[in-house]
Amino acid sequence: MDYDKLLTLSSDLGYHLLLSGAEIYRVEESVHYLLTAYGVETGEVFVIPNCVIVSLTAPGQKPITRVRRVPGHGTDISRMEALNDLCRRLCACPPDLDRAGEELDGVIREVHRTPMAVELAAYVLLTSAFCLLFGGTARDAFCGGVCGLAVGLVVPFLARLGTNLFFKAMVGGFFCGLLAAGLTDLGVGEHIDLIITGAIMAQAPGLVITNFMRDIMAGDMMSGLVKLAEALLTGAGIALGTGVALSLVSALWGVL
Amino acid sequence: MELFLPCLYAFLACLGFCVLFRINGLGAVLCSLGGALAWLVYLLTGPIMGNNDVIQYFWAAVFLSAYAEVMARVRKCPATGYLLIAFIPLVPGAGIYNMMDAALRGNTQDFLNTGLHTLSIAGSLAVGVLVVSSLVRMYSML
Repeated sequence: MDYDKLLTLSSDLGYHLLLSGAEIYRVEESVHYLLTAYGVETGEVFVIPNCVIVSLTAPGQKPITRVRRVPGHGTDISRMEALNDLCRRLCACPPDLDRAGEELDGVIREVHRTPMAVELAAYVLLTSAFCLLFGGTARDAFCGGVCGLAVGLVVPFLARLGTNLFFKAMVGGFFCGLLAAGLTDLGVGEHIDLIITGAIMAQAPGLVITNFMRDIMAGDMMSGLVKLAEALLTGAGIALGTGVALSLVSALWGVL
Repeated sequence: MELFLPCLYAFLACLGFCVLFRINGLGAVLCSLGGALAWLVYLLTGPIMGNNDVIQYFWAAVFLSAYAEVMARVRKCPATGYLLIAFIPLVPGAGIYNMMDAALRGNTQDFLNTGLHTLSIAGSLAVGVLVVSSLVRMYSML
């Protein structure tokens, strides 16, 4: 058997699973099952949120290792389910490695792009729903929706430019703060704090901080600490952005 | 009505996230339903648990991960989607924002208060998930 190909296949599977937003333990287990299914008992896999390392020792050969760095990414559950399905099929009856590689390529090449308009509608829907959930009025929900629209326009655009996490959060927070303060001053919104907390929920790292706790408790210390740093950084970015916007608006309002 | 409306809002918020996380069709409805039901659990356990919200979050998380495991078995797909989407109304995203906001304002007392509260909510959610998933794992190992 060509162990190089097996290493490439398994590390690519791990990389794409992580890229689609799978949990750390799921990536590690999937790669491990795949290696075992192909008869490699000496495979090791180590995953943290931005790196996948797979290593194996073929009988009578030197150990081989592959490292894949994972860039910042979103979540794509339908791709993750497809990859999970593929991994299960490969483990149930392992085909030869070229076939398996082709099947993996097939799953990766299926790109689902949500239309821009639908994505924006989703941002508006979720931010206004959060404004209502936090106890805002219908007018607050409207303002929250406007802020959500701005976030939905700006943040994916910045992501396409390859902007880092902190800056994205800051710019998103800035627009939320600016619009919320502006609309409240114009008399459209009623509770500025509820509008802002609702509007930032599209970006807020609530899931990250919950997953950080889960990882730490499950024993994945490294992943947990990476996620904690991410959550604190994103939170600080959003707070900084809104803070700048609010002070800017109040200064301008004083002048006008 | 005062129970129904917040759950409806939670449902809608989850639905928005389903689009962003690319969950389609029936899966999206079931994930969002999970979010709404978890919020209902959170609200209903309030009076029983003496309005201690950390405990309320724990029970909501236990309910939700049980729901996710059942759905994963029934629909033969990973529980990840359910655990991600349906948790969104519960997770303390606003808490982190408030905590960092207090830090930037130099209000140390508020920073510590909201920070510890946020961490304990995250902790109780994580414990809720881990209790159920560990039990499920142990059961499947039997």
